[in-house]
Amino acid sequence: MLRTALAGLRAHRLRLLLTSLAIMLGVGFIAGTFVLNDTVQAGFAQRVTADAGKVGVAVLPAKAEGTIPREVLERVRALPGVTDAQGLIRASAPVLGKDGKAAGNLPTTALSIVRGPLDRTDVVSGTGPGTDDGAAVLDENTAKAQGFRIGDTITVLDPGQGRHSFRLVGLIDTGVDQMLAYTGAVGFTPAVAQRMTGAKGFAEIDVAGTVTKQAVAAATGGSYKVKTGAELADDLARAAGVETKMFTLGLLMFGVVAMMVAALVIYNTFNILVAQRTREMALLRCIGATRGQVFGSIVLESAAVGLLASVLGLLIGYGLAALTLTVLAAFDAPLPTDAGVSLTPVTIGIGLAVGLAVTVCAALLPARSATRVPPIAALRSQPEERTFRAGLVRAGFAALFLVAGLGTTGAGVFVLEPGEASLFVVMAGGALTFLAVLILGPVLVRPLSAVVGWVPRRLFGVPGRLAVDNSGRNPRRAATTTVALTIGVTLMTLITVVTASTRLTMTVKLDEQFPVDYLLAGQERDSVIPRSVAEELRGRPELASVAQIREVEATVAGKRADVGTYSGGIEPYVTAGSMKAFGAGQVALDDVTAERLGARLGDTVTMRTRHAGTVALKVVALLDGNQSSLPPVTVAEQAFESYFGAVPDSRVMVTIADGVPPERARAVVDAAAAPYPTVQVSSSTEVRGQFDETLDMMLMIITGLLGLAILISLLGIANTLSLSVHERTRESALLRALGLTRPQLRRMLSVEALILGLIGALVGVVLGVVFGWAAMRAMVDGALFTAPVAQIVLFVVLSGVAGVLAAVLPARRAARASIVGSLATG
Amino acid sequence: MTLIETRRQAPPAVVATDLTKVYGQGDAEVHALRAVNVSFATGAFTAIMGPSGSGKSTLMHCLAGLDTATSGTVHIGDVELTGLSDRQLTLLRRERIGFIFQAFNLLPTLTAEQNIRLPLDIAARQADEVLFDRVIETVGLRDRLAHRPTELSGGQQQRVAVARALISKPQVIFADEPTGNLDSRSGAEVLSFLRASVRELGQTIVMVTHDPVAASYADRVVFLRDGELVTELAAPTPQSVLDTLVRLEA
Ligand SMILES: Nc1ncnc2c1ncn2[C@@H]1O[C@H](COP(=O)(O)OP(=O)(O)OP(=O)(O)O)[C@@H](O)[C@H]1O
Ligand SMILES: [Mg+2]
Repeated sequence: MLRTALAGLRAHRLRLLLTSLAIMLGVGFIAGTFVLNDTVQAGFAQRVTADAGKVGVAVLPAKAEGTIPREVLERVRALPGVTDAQGLIRASAPVLGKDGKAAGNLPTTALSIVRGPLDRTDVVSGTGPGTDDGAAVLDENTAKAQGFRIGDTITVLDPGQGRHSFRLVGLIDTGVDQMLAYTGAVGFTPAVAQRMTGAKGFAEIDVAGTVTKQAVAAATGGSYKVKTGAELADDLARAAGVETKMFTLGLLMFGVVAMMVAALVIYNTFNILVAQRTREMALLRCIGATRGQVFGSIVLESAAVGLLASVLGLLIGYGLAALTLTVLAAFDAPLPTDAGVSLTPVTIGIGLAVGLAVTVCAALLPARSATRVPPIAALRSQPEERTFRAGLVRAGFAALFLVAGLGTTGAGVFVLEPGEASLFVVMAGGALTFLAVLILGPVLVRPLSAVVGWVPRRLFGVPGRLAVDNSGRNPRRAATTTVALTIGVTLMTLITVVTASTRLTMTVKLDEQFPVDYLLAGQERDSVIPRSVAEELRGRPELASVAQIREVEATVAGKRADVGTYSGGIEPYVTAGSMKAFGAGQVALDDVTAERLGARLGDTVTMRTRHAGTVALKVVALLDGNQSSLPPVTVAEQAFESYFGAVPDSRVMVTIADGVPPERARAVVDAAAAPYPTVQVSSSTEVRGQFDETLDMMLMIITGLLGLAILISLLGIANTLSLSVHERTRESALLRALGLTRPQLRRMLSVEALILGLIGALVGVVLGVVFGWAAMRAMVDGALFTAPVAQIVLFVVLSGVAGVLAAVLPARRAARASIVGSLATG
Repeated sequence: MTLIETRRQAPPAVVATDLTKVYGQGDAEVHALRAVNVSFATGAFTAIMGPSGSGKSTLMHCLAGLDTATSGTVHIGDVELTGLSDRQLTLLRRERIGFIFQAFNLLPTLTAEQNIRLPLDIAARQADEVLFDRVIETVGLRDRLAHRPTELSGGQQQRVAVARALISKPQVIFADEPTGNLDSRSGAEVLSFLRASVRELGQTIVMVTHDPVAASYADRVVFLRDGELVTELAAPTPQSVLDTLVRLEA
């Protein structure tokens, strides 16, 4: 039996090639993802091990934001076996760019650069600051972005906004620290770092020497985390790799979709192969093969295909990962790309297991149907056309899934509050509905091909007519083929609808929520804008309105919360109660904060203030936190002042007067903000632009990744078609004998593929639009819906074109076949 | 002038001159046809006979433009097949040639009527409805027109194939063992019908067959052996055909 299986493989080499390609791509993608992840993680590990060697023991604050006071360092230094101990400072100190504004969206992080064996700074050019208090180093990226070179003078703000100048003596690499990569880093001598940040303690104490972790822990008391150098390195590597892991997980989801599509393609291929080999199977049964042997031979065949394809897939994955790393390196991605690219045993294991399992499982049903071939079939001259009847069982199951799917979706959309839970419910509904479509597929194919084929039937004459007939000829086969494409198109449409709707919803929300043209704010949302700025702006005729918001952190009802006030016209979005006659002793809470504090409308909450002791406030209004731009805990302006004193503004919102050109208004606002380096001006168009860019980027990446699933489904179309062409060799020869020209025969097959492609795309578009709408409704309250028609039409057209492209090779083969030879076969 | 006389005067429908077909090369070389000279009269029913492997099918394929000869020429009417491109050959088949094969004559997706009209549809020609009615009447398929091939018996399928070959009024119909798969009664029906179409419609038919009875329906039988035309028989009877065959095989 083994021999027959292998002979079968050899005989269908070409036909199985396309199938293997589907598995190869799927496995390649998954393996590539793993290789990429492994390499990046290895890179992170590599970088931190070098550091770990230097540090014997490290002391860290128990809480992320906390610090370690100096006396702890002194105590550690006094321990026997300690050769060196250094406290590291790490806190914000905004570096000013050449335009005089604080660089970047977040304040730069200042670091103390220690000397001696514990120096972990990676100076890539120039030198460290050494003992020179007038020297500083910058991380490469910030230097590049701001155009600073070694020898330049840079200005850094101290906590009191005072400007200090330093000579840039070197550039450093921030290594695996994702936070530093984000904020940028500036390094000083320890003393200067302390002065520039006003840090009250150290972010970390590094210890060198033979001292044990336990000894250090005992010396520091229980309130700090103490780690060995190796542990520290592990933690750093893990923290750095978290984002890569998330990214890997995301990529794997696409891998799963691709494998799902590949499974459909394989299922179809084996089904067709079994159908075509009915006589062969029957003959085997006639000469004494048992059902089990027939089953086994097909499963064996699929296992061989799966194994071979998976091995090749692993190689593809390796290549893909290497390529991606090269590209990432070329674009200076903040990821270590220099670790050796390697296929780990785990990757190999997973790749082989997934490829093999998917192939064999997909072949199980076809193998079972092969065992159903009666020996008598060997004697029938022509394999009968497998007719398809829509059985009651099928209809019942389909109806069940459809009702369940649509019901679940409806519940997710209409019953549940928008949020994660309802999104999951809608997703489950989508999966059920998809199953219904999968079951109904064979029933739907014929009517759909009649609809879709209406135009080609009229446009392409006899070839068109024959093509339409052929496309609906084997509904089960056509359905599986098209469903593979439907998966990709559904997801593509869904993503497009969701992005377009999100864009629309957010634009409208931004208009409501950001009913201002310019927003002035500090880098850290803290109150840093002198009130004079708003006052100056109020006097300008170019501006229509100027509103201010002030915030401080305070304890409300026993919990920390942002307390603030506002002046100027801001729509508060009151959902309950009223803010009319808002005054002392009253407070408005946004709904989320109210829940957190356990306060309801009419309740009284206590607040500890700076100047007025603890006050009792009556909750007079609840605000819609999604829409309102007021602070979570809002009190009246006068009251705020009496509680917390004259706090500077944290945000100033400005609208342009009618008829004033934006550039002029912008110049006015910029001029007012210019003296305050940390005050950043953003415009609503900028915010919207950034938002749009992010969405576009996301859409592009997701589309690209879904492209793989679509590619595999096209392989499926090509495969089905070439198998059908093979099956219909004699038919084609007959048509050619009767006077169908080669181009007409090719056209016939192209039209058939076109119809398959269009059916798959249409079903996908319908599902995608419906579930895009449902997902939108499930995610965002009051979401607006829009379906980008042009893009969706493009998907349909592209699917058709892709179908036609998939038919090129099979059609060519069919047209090339000799008539006489083809008539003789069978 | 009678119909028969007109036919006598008409030029032959198909003429093959020095037709040679060699398959393979070197040791595997097979001379399927060796300089065959034969012509088929317009309006005549000619049978080609010979032992298995004598080159009957090869001859028919070369005559019908389905296969190209190694050397020699074939004329269908006034058109010479040698040197025609695939497209030209296809158009020629479409316009001038009808086919009836031993099996697998019909497209399974089309009904009997659609199958019959297929050559005209391919050529985008209008059917001669009078002829269509007459053909349908004669082959007795009126109540089967909406059926698909799988719902027809083997004999009915072959009659559909005959009707299809006739409907486009081709210059010549080539039939390769059209009754090979049929029982003698169905075979006789199909053959009578072929002969009737020659007598009544003036159709030219060239038929390859193994069966002396089938050959006896023809006006003339030509005999092939080892790729050579060895003899021919006019006004054949089953017995005379059988005698000739026995002589050939001896
Ligand atoms: N494609 C081919 N390649 C090589 N040899 C061939 C090919 N087709 C036919 N032959 C050979 O050419 C010779 C004539 O074959 P052909 O099919 O014309 O015989 P036939 O008279 O039709 O036989 P049968 O009565 O069995 O149908 C045979 O010897 C055959 O083996
Ligand atoms: Mg033959």
